[in-house]
Amino acid sequence: MSKERVLIANRGEIALRIIQACKDLGLDYVVLYTKEDEFSLHVRIAQQEENGFKRAYRIAGYNDPNEIFSVADEAECTAIHPGYGFFSENFGFARRAAMRTRPLTFIGPRWEVIRDLGSKINTKRLAKNLNVPVIPGSDESIYNELEAEEVAEELFFLQKEQGIQHPSILVKASAGGGGMGIEEVSHLDAFRRIYRRIQNYAKRQFGDEGVLIEQCLRDYQHLEVQLLCSSHGEVVHFGTRNCTIQSAGRQKRVEVAPGFDPAVCEYTFDARAVLDRIVEYSVRLAKHVGYDNIGTWEWIVSRDGSPYLMEVNTRIQVENETSACISRLNGSNEPPSLIRDQIRVAFGDKLGFTQKNISFEGTSIELRIVAEDTKRGFAPWCGTITRFDYPDEPWARLYSHVPRDTPYKIPTEYDPNFALAIIWGQDTKQAKERAKQFQNRTIIEGKGANDESIITNLEYLYNRIDDVLQF
Amino acid sequence: MAQTSITDEPLEKLMDINLNDLLRRYRSHPFKDYPIETPHTGMVSFKVKEGQVVKGPGGEWLHRPGTLLYIIEREGNTKRVTALWNGKVSGIRLDLEGRFVEAGELLLFIRHQLDKEEIIDRILTQVLYILPAPQRARYFLAPEISIKMEKRPEGSVSVESGDEVLIMSLMKRDTVISYKGVPGALYKVYFKSGAAVEQGSPLLGICPPDKLQYVQKVIQRIRTEWEK
Repeated sequence: MSKERVLIANRGEIALRIIQACKDLGLDYVVLYTKEDEFSLHVRIAQQEENGFKRAYRIAGYNDPNEIFSVADEAECTAIHPGYGFFSENFGFARRAAMRTRPLTFIGPRWEVIRDLGSKINTKRLAKNLNVPVIPGSDESIYNELEAEEVAEELFFLQKEQGIQHPSILVKASAGGGGMGIEEVSHLDAFRRIYRRIQNYAKRQFGDEGVLIEQCLRDYQHLEVQLLCSSHGEVVHFGTRNCTIQSAGRQKRVEVAPGFDPAVCEYTFDARAVLDRIVEYSVRLAKHVGYDNIGTWEWIVSRDGSPYLMEVNTRIQVENETSACISRLNGSNEPPSLIRDQIRVAFGDKLGFTQKNISFEGTSIELRIVAEDTKRGFAPWCGTITRFDYPDEPWARLYSHVPRDTPYKIPTEYDPNFALAIIWGQDTKQAKERAKQFQNRTIIEGKGANDESIITNLEYLYNRIDDVLQF
Repeated sequence: MAQTSITDEPLEKLMDINLNDLLRRYRSHPFKDYPIETPHTGMVSFKVKEGQVVKGPGGEWLHRPGTLLYIIEREGNTKRVTALWNGKVSGIRLDLEGRFVEAGELLLFIRHQLDKEEIIDRILTQVLYILPAPQRARYFLAPEISIKMEKRPEGSVSVESGDEVLIMSLMKRDTVISYKGVPGALYKVYFKSGAAVEQGSPLLGICPPDKLQYVQKVIQRIRTEWEK
């Protein structure tokens, strides 16, 4: 691979993981940051490694594509890595990168693939055509309130017909992702108010007020399938993971790989067969669209073991490393770096391995450490982190943009997520024990604007570790 | 969407100002230095010089743009940045001429002499019942209040405890803020919809009905005594 220069168009811990992947591959990199993020670790590291070549550029906002392309040209970058940020699933952005006068390699799937799978609605249509099961609901963006109400009414009616005692539906921003812009409606009377609110939110946050309405399934597990594909038609998977433990706002908090473990939990269905099925369905869809980069297929599995495809995330994810952590390539002890592979395939490399070279070992648990008050609806906490210590263990990795040697004010512009801890164990029991041990030995101190102590979700995470993998 | 409420200082504080002191202070330094920073990255080309007098927007509806300060070019698009205030250019960074600059780069200051209405606005923050920003965040008027304000003249929209008055957009989450305080007229909105507001900065100024006369007196006095 020739010397490429990658513009990292995202913030937080993912920017640090991408920096590391670029360095591992011998690539140059440049980072972006906003005024609010100037004390983030990704900026500091980039500035420390400048050596006469500017690596960190301050921009007006991560959501402004002109800012990103402007810096890409100024810094003579040849590629853009969108991380899991705003543009990672925006086919217009990927197309612009590829087709502008000075083209840039978009590190992600081809823009046509993002167009086909980046929208929840298109994905549902494609899946239906391939006999892949999907959640009942609208299969096109709704912009009209009366039409929306009609769909909602129908979904309530169908649930009543099925004998569901407390029917409800979900109103989702169709351009949304990562659990943002989703609200539940449990009575038709409340529908219009919530529909308008989501529409308003979607317009402000994503620039598209289209809304998707789905039946709200209860008593389910949220599973994911991690795929890696190349432009040479290769498709491999790195197994499944379980992301059921989420905040009130549907933000994932604890993730586990693999997706089910019949050795420690009882299921009313053949759990291994269900995992195999969702992998097979995911691969089927990936092959159909000619998927050519990293991606996650998100699934709902009901208590009776019925899987429903929810959406496809055409990007690297926060939790991808949970799957990497239990994967072994050619029997190596080291987990693969999926970001490194993602970058390689974006530049046209072949994978260099097949499914046969991938094996799985143990269980991994990811804990998302967030400054939030889990007892008050997961309300974000604002303030300054003054101390952040965690155990250094061979079985644990922690990714964070929070510096450990200086106080860090959490920017109010972004999510209050500030660290990811990934713990590995030889089996689920050991992984859980280690996750608890890790949590117990993690120290976070900080002060808010009124001198109040920092509030984090550490205790919540500890209490939820035992709930993983089971209904 | 989460819900919260904010309130502020006791009502007695309304009367507790020394107008003479305030006016004296503003007379001794009736200026405000506005920093002019780049709104985004791009190549800068200055159109003013150090010490040049510039004008803000003019015309009945402020439809005539102010003096052209600089042009910034990004991705082949040029943006003409004009003065938003009358004043004099100072601290101009001519070393940045023709160079690529980052977002938020300080280019110059405009030293602006405060006029009567601006003095009134400033003094009113100390007279009205102020709702400060609970956090540094982006704020929007609640849709119901916003609609009322569009239809009715300034100072005639009333609020009382429990009314949803604001939406605080913080850490990608929207929180509805309910008003908690004395009922009164929404006299002043201190923020631009969707703009980031620093913690503690005023968001809304409320005037209780029994203080309306006092507030109008203060305004009248400034109008009479302030020369320009």
